[in-house]
Amino acid sequence: MRTKNLLAPLLICLASLVCVRVAAAQAGDVAVVVNDHNPVTKLSRAELRKIFAGQERSWSAGLPIRVFVRAPGTHERLALLKLLGMTEGEYKKYWTLQVFRGEAQAEPSTLPSNGMQREAVVTYPGAVALVNLQDVKTGMKVLKVEGRMPGEAGYSLN
Amino acid sequence: MRHIPWTAAVLLLFSGLCYPQDTSSTDPETIRQLVQQVKDLQERVKLLESQQNGARQNHTDASTLNPASLTPSNPPTPPVEVADQTAPTPGILQEIHETRGIQWRGFGEVDYKVLNQRAPELGTYGFVPGSQGNFYSGDFGLFLTSRLTNKASVLSEIVFEEGDAQTYKVDLRRMLLNYDYNDHLKMSFGRYQTNIGYYNWAFRSAAWLQTTADRPLVMEFATNGGLLPTQANGVSVTGEIPSGKLGLNYVAEYGSSDTMRPDLNGDGVVTDENNGNQTNIGLFARPDWLQGLQIGSSYYHDQISNNPLSAATGAPVPPPPGGPGPAARYDQTIVNAYAVYVAHGVEFLNEGFLIRHALIGGSLHFDTPAFYSQISKQFGHIRPFFRYQYVNASSNNSLYDDVGLRYGPSFGARYDFDDYIAFKAQLDHTVRRDEPDLNGLHLQLSFTF
Repeated sequence: MRTKNLLAPLLICLASLVCVRVAAAQAGDVAVVVNDHNPVTKLSRAELRKIFAGQERSWSAGLPIRVFVRAPGTHERLALLKLLGMTEGEYKKYWTLQVFRGEAQAEPSTLPSNGMQREAVVTYPGAVALVNLQDVKTGMKVLKVEGRMPGEAGYSLN
Repeated sequence: MRHIPWTAAVLLLFSGLCYPQDTSSTDPETIRQLVQQVKDLQERVKLLESQQNGARQNHTDASTLNPASLTPSNPPTPPVEVADQTAPTPGILQEIHETRGIQWRGFGEVDYKVLNQRAPELGTYGFVPGSQGNFYSGDFGLFLTSRLTNKASVLSEIVFEEGDAQTYKVDLRRMLLNYDYNDHLKMSFGRYQTNIGYYNWAFRSAAWLQTTADRPLVMEFATNGGLLPTQANGVSVTGEIPSGKLGLNYVAEYGSSDTMRPDLNGDGVVTDENNGNQTNIGLFARPDWLQGLQIGSSYYHDQISNNPLSAATGAPVPPPPGGPGPAARYDQTIVNAYAVYVAHGVEFLNEGFLIRHALIGGSLHFDTPAFYSQISKQFGHIRPFFRYQYVNASSNNSLYDDVGLRYGPSFGARYDFDDYIAFKAQLDHTVRRDEPDLNGLHLQLSFTF
């Protein structure tokens, strides 16, 4: 009887540990990923901001940059907004303005999952996306930001 | 009953552990995130299934990261998914939907304006001068873009503008063939809005995009009495200048315009400036060290005439006695400098202009200084704003004798119902030389779709 009584609390303990692990992963670093064949290996935070703000539109080799972003509410999206210093509403208005100004041809493609981000990065040579570190997959090349890889101390994109 | 304290203790522990996951999230946000995660998982399942069904079965254990990250000095790598390089599935292409068609965007507005003066000024956008106040629909704009290739695109802006007696005229505000060779060379051919200053570039012509209900007078479209040549046909080139953290950009424009500017004082006269070919060059910097800061300057030159016509009939109106006459040509130069900061919900715009008209072949010249300063801050859905503007044209300058001295504050607020509809309320106070002060209330419902 006593063993039976202890089983439920133990299960709850295990569930809570899983919760904490998921939370830690969700709040983890976000990697900047590009196509495997892109020769770029590192970016500064300012360069990254310009790329995701549509102010830099081609890689150094002349390859057009193709930006992919996650849907609102995701961890990657929050990291993006933090990088740009915008709220969700400001982000939407900003891109409407960019297109209307003629500074961009279209708002960055919003993809509903990191699986699709991976496909996009593999498909488009000029692709760049933000991906949770634990979701980085084959075909994605992780860039250093300010000289640091995600997971390193001082990495600023999270 | 003995197990209850145990359970309670563990539940407390559980809640204590789980709470730090997201202290800021509210319930709907959490639900949204969970739904998103479920969608993610579904996508991953789909992806795995498609990979399983694929012809290739040679799963590898290769790392997913850049090889550089696998060196011993680097931190632990994330979990590696065993996957192969499959061709892009139709799903991703549908999701990204490669656009080769026309993308539309619409902008509209409904306005109500009241002035405390019955003495008629120029009526624009459908406002009836001299009335107690009336509704009007301003500009209804259709914005079209189409990507032709990775580097070429077409952009067009067609505006239906309300005129007198609820008539509407069509204006092709912009029609451009764009070609972006790279970040250092971006070219546009066609009808463009001149890049004199920041406002014209930043807000173009849609009311929804502007914080305030109207444009500063100096940035108003010339066809609505504004002082600057706002549109031209020709070529516009812009791009980055390699300058490190300074973030320098250039703009160069060469084109032809034909400005017809109605007098602001409502005297029914339109000035046909018979422009020559205009040149505009500018530099602006977006320094890395302060995100949102943009500082710039531009220099514009053209040759124009002062040819007054009757707005109703188009017949020439006799020029003021003693003036150089309609055959005279003027060098028009416009020097602009601005400093703006737009970030973190703050918008702080400051622009100054010096417009010079110098009679060609004579010593007569007039300088018209103008500036505006605008500040606003977003608080949730509401954005209060304040603007102060100033224009001082000489009474002897027959090109701007309708403008004179005008200055004063505007303040109000913009309320965004959602991402598409905004309501603005604005109070204006304008001091005018030799005329009574002008007070106005401007309400506007603007939207995009």
